[in-house]
Amino acid sequence: MKKKRDEKSGYLFILPATLMLLGVNIYPLVRGIMLAFTNRNFLYPKKTKIVGLKNFIEIIFRDKEFWGVLGFTFFFAIASVVIIYLIGLCIALLINREFKGKNFFRALFLLPWVIPSVVAANSWIWMMNDQTGFINTTLMKWGVIKEPILFLATKHAAQLSAIMVNAWKSFPFMLLVLLAAMQNIDHGLYESARIDGASRFQCFRYITMPMIKGISVVSTVLMMIWSFNNFENVYLLTRGGPARATMNISIYTYNLAFYRNQWGYASAVAVVMMIIMFALSYVYRRLLRTQDD
Amino acid sequence: MNKYKKLKATAFYAVLLLIGLLINLPIINMVGSAFKSSKEIFTNNNLFPHHPTVENFKNVLERTPFFQYVLNSLMVAIVVSIIVAVVSCLAGYAISRYAKKIKFFKHYSSLFLILQMFPGVLLMIPVVVLLSDIGLGDSLWGLILVYVSTNIPFCTWMISGFFDGIPSEIDEAAKIDGCNVFQSFAKIVVPLSSSGIASIIIFTFINCWNEYMLANVILKSQDLRTLPLGLQTFIMQFDTDWSSLMAASTMTIIPVLFFLIFMQKHIVSGLTAGAVKG
Repeated sequence: MKKKRDEKSGYLFILPATLMLLGVNIYPLVRGIMLAFTNRNFLYPKKTKIVGLKNFIEIIFRDKEFWGVLGFTFFFAIASVVIIYLIGLCIALLINREFKGKNFFRALFLLPWVIPSVVAANSWIWMMNDQTGFINTTLMKWGVIKEPILFLATKHAAQLSAIMVNAWKSFPFMLLVLLAAMQNIDHGLYESARIDGASRFQCFRYITMPMIKGISVVSTVLMMIWSFNNFENVYLLTRGGPARATMNISIYTYNLAFYRNQWGYASAVAVVMMIIMFALSYVYRRLLRTQDD
Repeated sequence: MNKYKKLKATAFYAVLLLIGLLINLPIINMVGSAFKSSKEIFTNNNLFPHHPTVENFKNVLERTPFFQYVLNSLMVAIVVSIIVAVVSCLAGYAISRYAKKIKFFKHYSSLFLILQMFPGVLLMIPVVVLLSDIGLGDSLWGLILVYVSTNIPFCTWMISGFFDGIPSEIDEAAKIDGCNVFQSFAKIVVPLSSSGIASIIIFTFINCWNEYMLANVILKSQDLRTLPLGLQTFIMQFDTDWSSLMAASTMTIIPVLFFLIFMQKHIVSGLTAGAVKG
């Protein structure tokens, strides 16, 4: 009897969160999915008709822009994750020890992550400016380059810049997670390995890496999903340009919806994106489960 | 030997400092530029100004609605943090205490995890429609509503991990002493988790303070702009007011810096708890 009442209060505890999520998360999601099957245009809402799978067929077979966008999105996400993981791992290895001022340095490395994307993007744009930017003027002063590098105005440079800025903004999360995992490793393992004559590299290869493997897998997949979804870091830096070179799927959807007013079509692109995300998060959940075992 | 050790320690700190400076170069460059006069900013390309001036800060505060942006952002961030803290604590407690006994709560917490992964742009269109339907389009309350719901999943997940660390014998004991579930939660568990609650409040506050995408599509009126939207108004296609932008950006990151320096522990513990435990 008492247990039943206990259970009931459990449901009461989750009631406010459930209402919020149903109202402002799940209901809009469902509505967004329904929009994907219509030709709704923001300017002519009265002409809205149900068009079935037409939007999806158009995306897959006729929309040439979409495939280019999807390709860049994947390239962007994978390249970002590789850079994020490498930087995160190196710095985590470096500061995974006891020293004076540890908190100060950790805060220093966290800074890019906690500042607003607007500030991050603008400070990079300013630093990469071709005439007055710090990078170009300094490299020219040192004689490394003769012509200023057009970081955001040529195709490949803009793509690399977008990846670098995204990696710069996101690596501290990886650093934190890896550092936390490294601090959980039993010190005795290293000590006994040292007594057996293992080198530093061997300790890293045979103790650290296996011990942080699980968390590495999980956090790289999570980072992959976040980079795949990313809107702010790229949009604020390049607006998807030059000539759509850095347009990822989020920016594409945003432009469709808020510049071309094609709400139905934009929703369909978002749904395709969601399906890809589902696949990725399925992998993520599978990996979580194997990590638990 | 001792000398060697000292040398090694010095080298270690030198490397750390170098990496730290290199990583924060854009931010250092931004703060340096904020103190250059509007002429010097184009002639002196060094990191720091020759003749530091607060002219830009004065300009931003006196001639632009920067203060209004700060007020809007503060209002949104504070209200959202409070609501999220209350709602997430309640839900997180239920998940932490019942997930093992009742299947529904286990699935419920995985739903949170899945929601956390949905692309933000997917929500953008229907949320704009929803808010204008209920009369909250282009209003700070509409934005607050959306921020609350986007922050609840991760915060609930984070705080439930925190509650897992508090043995349930403690609330059992309170129940024997005559407390009902709500009382034992409010009087025993909440005070014990003040550090976890602090982390979700800081986390949510920073999220709201920094968010651009949703605010950009929801808010249209100029006097409602939050800080990130306000900063973007300094950028114009051909003529960006860089001195003012750098000064305004520098002021924008002050609260974030404050949190980072004085409450780093909460940020770190909160953020890694969720992700590492999974």
